[in-house]
Amino acid sequence: MSPDTPKSPPASILVVDDEPIVLQSLGDWFRQDGYLVDTAANAKEALRIAAERPHDIALLDIKMPGIDGLELQERLVKEVPDLTIIVMTAYASIESAVRALKAGAYDYITKPFDPDELSHLVRRAAEHRSLRSENERLKEQLASVAGPSPLVGVSAAMRHVQDLIDAVAVSDATVLVRGESGTGKELVARAVHARSPRRFGPLVVVNCGALPEGVLESELFGHEKGAFTGAQFRHKGKFELADGGTVFLDEIGTVTPRVQVELLRVLEEKKVTRLGGTVPIRTDFRVVAATNMDLEAAVREGRFRDDLYWRLNVFTIDLPPLRDRAGDIPALAEHFLQRFTLAMNRPPMKLSPAALDTLLSHSWPGNVRELQNAIERAVVMGKPPTIEVADLPLRIGEAESRPGPMSLEELERAHIRRVLDGSDWNISQAAKVLGIDRGTLYAKIRRYGFERVPTA
Amino acid sequence: MMDSPAHGAPRTWREIHLAPVAQLDEGTLERLALELSKRSALPCRAVPPPLAGELPRVPNRPQLDADRLLVSLEPLAEVDAPLVGITAVDIAVPIFAYVFGRARLGGRAVVISLARLDPEHYGLPRDPGLVARRAAAEILHELGHAAGLAHCEDPACLMRFAASVEAADLRGATFCADCAARLPHGLVRSTAGAPQG
Repeated sequence: MSPDTPKSPPASILVVDDEPIVLQSLGDWFRQDGYLVDTAANAKEALRIAAERPHDIALLDIKMPGIDGLELQERLVKEVPDLTIIVMTAYASIESAVRALKAGAYDYITKPFDPDELSHLVRRAAEHRSLRSENERLKEQLASVAGPSPLVGVSAAMRHVQDLIDAVAVSDATVLVRGESGTGKELVARAVHARSPRRFGPLVVVNCGALPEGVLESELFGHEKGAFTGAQFRHKGKFELADGGTVFLDEIGTVTPRVQVELLRVLEEKKVTRLGGTVPIRTDFRVVAATNMDLEAAVREGRFRDDLYWRLNVFTIDLPPLRDRAGDIPALAEHFLQRFTLAMNRPPMKLSPAALDTLLSHSWPGNVRELQNAIERAVVMGKPPTIEVADLPLRIGEAESRPGPMSLEELERAHIRRVLDGSDWNISQAAKVLGIDRGTLYAKIRRYGFERVPTA
Repeated sequence: MMDSPAHGAPRTWREIHLAPVAQLDEGTLERLALELSKRSALPCRAVPPPLAGELPRVPNRPQLDADRLLVSLEPLAEVDAPLVGITAVDIAVPIFAYVFGRARLGGRAVVISLARLDPEHYGLPRDPGLVARRAAAEILHELGHAAGLAHCEDPACLMRFAASVEAADLRGATFCADCAARLPHGLVRSTAGAPQG
């Protein structure tokens, strides 16, 4: 499929009726009109077929022996919530049709069918279904562009990054973005997507490091109803939602070996099988992955599959830490100032020369995210029109601008606090930066009485 | 439409036989033969009524059963001359309130009704010429099915699906190149795409 000229696949219809002649007539008729058609002679068969293959529209005869159309509708709605249902009825059972409508059926049609009416009804239902899918896709897309933040920076390092993005975006190659925490890896993924032919498709973001293994599997691959306890509805996975677009797999290095195997299979086959499902679903996506880990070391130590590593490491973009591109700090600070004053409905603000010096002298272990948090806090604390040094988070001044005589414990206290804030209180990341394990970090947080301070 | 598409090279048809099935006067049949001859290079010949006695009806409805008519006509058709059963009576199949025509993919016979092609059916003034043009188009559409063609997505193709007489009027007067290539030689004239008068 070409994302620039999307062509919808034909709608698929499931026809359920206990009369063979009806199934044959409607089946032939819809196939001739270009639809994909499955037929079922009873509710049990319909439920089996609906579980095996996805359908856009179901045409259900109300009057059937055993489980009737209304009960079947009830069950189908539970199992396939996004199915568009049309009930077929005789004049004598209009009341049943009304009940079906109240239970959520899209429409009803009476037998014998007016071919023109049936044709219009099914075409309208297919459009309705397609609009709902489009809506789902746009919501995903909207979520992916909410709070847009361009890649800011004119340093040689950032110009090189921009050049790499331009070069790779037009291809469909998998991209691996590497860089310390807070350097803006997701922004690179968004830029790659936005400059690619897939830009009108969704960008689906998955933070692999934030989800337990089971939840991540379900998020990535989707699940069928009843696949596990609590799976009350069929759920589309992120790869399915990314059809025609891009999947951004953040913190790919944290993925467990079991999910790595599944990921590799999906990346190679471009087909996803939902958890608890049996039918592979074809989906057209591009992958951008990101990590702040040393993946090569992880491969050597057997924590990361080398075949997955090679599958992901097709085109690498290395993002420099902020300390290596200090020349970008004024532009970044100005960008965040504008963004937060606008978002908080505050008058325009500027950094005082001393405040800017403070920012320039900081080493920014939390990179751009730390700078963003510092400016956000300063916009809250500062008095327009100027942000002074005192408005910046104290830790910036404590550790570097105004070091003064400090004991080792004071220095440790300030440093841990700064790393925690810089990593947005991501304990794993902070522990990694500090070179201690998570348990030790928790002990130190308790010892120093640290609490996370909201920044806005 | 019924059954699956026929495969292989286009068949050879020698001529088209037009047969009155019910309530069709000779003048109408001749007018249809003439209209069809303008579009088809094959000779269009009127033949005597092929079916005698009680014709099959849709239960509890005043319409003839198109599928059962087709079953009766099929064995009467010659191998190289499709048989077109034409009736002025409304036709239908049990699941549909009406059909304009009916054919089996790869079959030898087709059946069409003039009832819903007639503007008088919709309260409009009488127009025998319009009925003949619509009927000729419907016959060619159904013969396309008999020749093995399914519906076509091309809006200008005669094999485009049409569930109403308006939709049938809007679709093209001839076949698209892809469909035409799969028709029996001579079924349509090369100039058949000219606008209808």
